Amino acid sequence: MARSIWNGTIAFGLMTVPVKLHTATESKTVSFREVHIDDGAHVEHRRFCSKEDKEVPYKEVVKGYEVSDGKFVVLEKDEIAAAAGDGAHRIDVEHFVDAGAIDPIYFAKTYYLGAGDDGGQAYRLLHDALEKTGRAGIGRFTFHDREYLTAVRARDGVLVLHTLRYADELVPGSDIEVATPGRGPGDKEVKMAARLVDTLHAKFDPTDYDDEYREAVLSVVERKRKGEDIVREEQPETDDSADLMATLEASLRGAKGGR
Amino acid sequence: MARSLWTGSISFGLVNVPVALFSAVRDLDVHFRQLHEKDGAPIETRRFCSEEDKEVPFEAVAHGYEEDGKKQVVLTDEDLAAAAPRKTRTIDIEAFVDLEDVDPMYFDHPSFLAPVGDAEGNLRAYRLLVKVLASTDRAALGRFVLRSKEYLVLVRVRDDRLALTTLLFHDEVRPTKGIDTGGRKPAKAQLDATVKLVEALAVDWDPESYEDHYRERLLEVIERKRKGRKIVAPESSSGGREGPPPDIMEALKASLERARSGEGFDLAAEDDDGSDGADGLEDLSREELYERAQKENVPGRSSMSRKDLIDALSD
Repeated sequence: MARSIWNGTIAFGLMTVPVKLHTATESKTVSFREVHIDDGAHVEHRRFCSKEDKEVPYKEVVKGYEVSDGKFVVLEKDEIAAAAGDGAHRIDVEHFVDAGAIDPIYFAKTYYLGAGDDGGQAYRLLHDALEKTGRAGIGRFTFHDREYLTAVRARDGVLVLHTLRYADELVPGSDIEVATPGRGPGDKEVKMAARLVDTLHAKFDPTDYDDEYREAVLSVVERKRKGEDIVREEQPETDDSADLMATLEASLRGAKGGR
Repeated sequence: MARSLWTGSISFGLVNVPVALFSAVRDLDVHFRQLHEKDGAPIETRRFCSEEDKEVPFEAVAHGYEEDGKKQVVLTDEDLAAAAPRKTRTIDIEAFVDLEDVDPMYFDHPSFLAPVGDAEGNLRAYRLLVKVLASTDRAALGRFVLRSKEYLVLVRVRDDRLALTTLLFHDEVRPTKGIDTGGRKPAKAQLDATVKLVEALAVDWDPESYEDHYRERLLEVIERKRKGRKIVAPESSSGGREGPPPDIMEALKASLERARSGEGFDLAAEDDDGSDGADGLEDLSREELYERAQKENVPGRSSMSRKDLIDALSD
């Protein structure tokens, strides 16, 4: 049985739904420890006072916010926690929106929600209503001393909670300069490119794509374990395209031939 | 314009467009530095060999891989570089997929791609890719290497630019097995009432209307502390872990009535800093009141009169 990392209640209107929060994603990136190359011993990170050049025990470390160059305001742990919110175990759903209207760029981290104690019936109701309406509940909740904006939606029989990025955290496209070509792509080129897109169209199935890099790293680990020499292969890089139309035509021939 | 994280090219078929990658997210979090309490000096971290008790320069740090019951394997940066033998300067598009088939759960880090240089051919090829992707509901799927790690990426159009997002791999999304998904299929009357309530509380998605209260409160706490004022932590609430309502149908009906009459619900989380009190609301124009209502997320604000707004804001 999956362990929960937070228990609380989703509230909308006067309805309350007891829920349990579960981890939904985990990084499978191969992780390493820092070791000293000479003897393979673990590398420790030790704290030093930059003024005294002396090691500082953890209990003498405080958190400071830099208000101006080199000037800090020191905050105690509970002073920082004061900003977290009231710590109530509630997800207050302020309102519901069309789930499909939320650009996925807003989704930061995803969790699964399970039914909490005595919450089976209420959970099912919220899930089925969200599934039927295609809506997501938008609300705030406090988790690990920090308040998050979240979206709750139905996904394959399970309620999922996405923490959301705030609009001001997203870089608007207008900040990214893109020069306009003197002459835009012509209809013929667009049509040709559209055909190329069609030819290379595939149904997305996430299980078709494995983390080849992870596998490669693990295989390097195994080869090294056996004492093999690890040699890096160099790959030539391709040229930029000069004649767009000719390249598109050649690509289309290649794509069709390959299938 | 921010600095690019990567430069290379995106290639589909034989068309190759030189591009630069820019993060689409900016870090607005309030960051703290570790200080030595005694003298307020910043803390530095130094690397030490746990065996020799000697400082280790960064060049002498390698990567140790440990597996239960096996001897540690030590890899150098060069060893690790060998794991990324594929082209590191190219985003190779392998397929075009329907955007709706990609569950947003898979979206990881978003960024933008911008064309590099002024070469007419490159700018046109970039425009072409934007135009084609914008005209279908498809996105390009490919792989690319950033800082020696290979990512699965989706390229689509956002704000008239190519937007790239890294994706999680399928085994990084956990199965839902073991999650308690509640009881039996709900009774039709109850489901209908819940659907009605959801619809009564529905608004258009307006991302600009949500602000990071946590960030604001944290900056406020810092400002107060800077002025030498006392920081009082709010009562930590142990409440909120409630059960379901004793009578679900009754709760749904009462909620619906309140939602329809515009009475609203006393959401404790809203406006808890008390800084925007009712004071002076009478002196504000409807526009100014509306701005405040937007800030505070007052539901139904766009259809409210000046008086309604004052009432809603002084709640």
